Amino acid sequence: MEKLVVVDGNHAAALGALLCRPDVVAAYPITPQTPLVEHFTQYIADGALDCAILEPESEHSAMSILEGASLAGGRTFTATSSQGLALMYEPYFRASTMRLPIVMDIVNREMISPQTIWGGPQDSLSVRDAGWIQIYVEDNQEILDMNVQAFKIAEHKDVLLPVNICFDGFYLSHMTEGVLVCEQEKVDAFLPKYLPEHVKLDPERPMAVDPLTPGAYLQYYRELHMQAMDNAKKVIQQVNDEFAQLFGRSYGGLVDTYRLEDADYVLITMGSLTGTARVAVDYARQKGVKVGILKLRSIRPFPKELVQQYLKGRKAAGVVDRNVSFGWHCGITYLEVLSAMGGALNMPLLPFIGGLGGEDLTIELLAKAIDYIVAAGKGRYNTPQQAIWLVKGEEE
Amino acid sequence: MRAAEMKTIKMSATDKMLAYADMVAPGITSCEGCNVELTMRTVLKVLGPNTIVAIPPGCMGGVQTVGWEDRMGTKIPVFFPLLDNTASMLGGIKKYYEHIGRHVNVVAFAGDGASVDAGFQALSGAAERGDNIIYICYDNEGYMNTGFQRSGSTTKGSWTSTTPVGAAHKGKKTHRKDAPMIMAMHDIPYVATASPAYIPDLIAKVEKAMQVRDGMAYIHVYNACSTGWGYQPCKSIDICRRSVQTRFYPLYEVEHGKFKLSLDIKQPKPVKDFLNQLKKFRHLSESDILEIQELVDRRWNRLLGLCQI
Ligand code: SF4
Repeated sequence: MEKLVVVDGNHAAALGALLCRPDVVAAYPITPQTPLVEHFTQYIADGALDCAILEPESEHSAMSILEGASLAGGRTFTATSSQGLALMYEPYFRASTMRLPIVMDIVNREMISPQTIWGGPQDSLSVRDAGWIQIYVEDNQEILDMNVQAFKIAEHKDVLLPVNICFDGFYLSHMTEGVLVCEQEKVDAFLPKYLPEHVKLDPERPMAVDPLTPGAYLQYYRELHMQAMDNAKKVIQQVNDEFAQLFGRSYGGLVDTYRLEDADYVLITMGSLTGTARVAVDYARQKGVKVGILKLRSIRPFPKELVQQYLKGRKAAGVVDRNVSFGWHCGITYLEVLSAMGGALNMPLLPFIGGLGGEDLTIELLAKAIDYIVAAGKGRYNTPQQAIWLVKGEEE
Repeated sequence: MRAAEMKTIKMSATDKMLAYADMVAPGITSCEGCNVELTMRTVLKVLGPNTIVAIPPGCMGGVQTVGWEDRMGTKIPVFFPLLDNTASMLGGIKKYYEHIGRHVNVVAFAGDGASVDAGFQALSGAAERGDNIIYICYDNEGYMNTGFQRSGSTTKGSWTSTTPVGAAHKGKKTHRKDAPMIMAMHDIPYVATASPAYIPDLIAKVEKAMQVRDGMAYIHVYNACSTGWGYQPCKSIDICRRSVQTRFYPLYEVEHGKFKLSLDIKQPKPVKDFLNQLKKFRHLSESDILEIQELVDRRWNRLLGLCQI
């Protein structure tokens, strides 16, 4: 029987990571991720797992330590947020390009300036092209379950890439929910030991890692890396399905949907705001508006084919971003969806921005977004050149 | 033959250098007369095959020790860390091997730029954290591999490509940091300074570092650089010896907080005898030299004081 616990997102993440029996963990505390590190280290201090913990002096070293431990053959885990991620950018990029299956939770937080500590995925989305798999989750159960799935995806022989499980700071990290904790024996069966074959620093089998590499080789490595990303699309889905079979919970894989089947209008969401969007959609449905949700889960690899498939034949859609792309005047996932659709886009696709810096994206604001989408679908509103800002007090 | 056996069988440094296998491939591309290469070959011979070595960007990274054209530059596992994360990457490697209960020498061979500048935070962090790694810094007073830029280890007044000598400015404006002393103040189990002009001393220090199990062992080697400093390659060892004989670069070790001179220089030559051998100091005035002499005296007296504690 799975145990039901009442925990916040950080605690759920720590429990999920613990179930995967990492060999080495190194993490530097940063708001809002700090309790995750505290929970994890407390479990280790209590003897829950024989895991080597290193207390680094910075996030740059945290990621570097994990790279070393992973190169030596260990399973490794860490977590960070915002400025911490920015500080570790140098080894972050290198973890993926050395093909090290590290798992790192990113407890999403805005980037400074202005000075802020609150939620928003600007941090991880800004580094989406650094070669990591990035999966965004909606609630605390999904955090725990995806931490278990993350190692399986990362270590798959067709993937061998590091994975970020990204969840909203405060909205999830500090919000308490009931969470079922997978049984350890089942996780052990689900997740075999990590045995690296592609790269390892071991005196019994000497290897030079990362010599100065000419462009032709580098290009070849990039090609393989891109291929691994493509492979990951299949693997994420497979792992989701296998997990669902064993544990009875499915998240859809690369994307998830809500009341989408017969929908004319689509609200495209990511992360914890999807929960609020579900309620907004229910209200709209009560009023007879045929609207549904396409929830983006995997941003890297980006589920281009699925986005095309799910948007085909709809009247209008809109993307809600809790982040910005400077220079485009819209959010980042809007751009991603737009690129995915390419020439196949034959309906209005609206860019919304809201909920930055931990601002609340209320049911009313999402209802307003739905109104815009419907108006656009009926030809009463054209796709704007700039994002529509969802601002509290401007619901009407 | 390895360090453990050496305790019982007394071999001379020459015997050891003859007996131990070279861990570096022949024909790496360092400059003629490079004593950093000599230092690296020597320490890796002592460390032996049960070693993983990190060689960050810098002269020894640049001369293909990490490998070239699918071939290895060393006979032991080797990798390029980033310029600024050598110590933390090694900390992670060591921790994993400790976790699975296997002893491996986990070693850095890093230049002063990667150690006392960009990589210093990681180095200090690993020292404080007690990572059981052997960190060897080869200090040639700058970023020599990329054309002799100044580092925090460059002596005041030095010409470097980023502290040039002209009508308005004459070389580096500030003193070099005393990196081994800073490392000693971390109270790690073992800190030593060494020189390729004193190979038996260097070998003994690497052997001691290999015995450390309760934290970091740090060895700082002062290496002259003919290409960057401006002197004839055949004089490398002479220059290194002068740095020691003038008390410019004292040889000492610190075992669990106990300072000890490895070589007492009772009658030092003036520091000028070292400085005037090098093109990079050619423009120094008498008062510039005097200022360096004063620093040398101050640091030597401080060291003597510490040795008396
Ligand atoms: S530049 Fe100096 S330290 Fe570097 S390889 Fe040449 S002689 Fe050696």
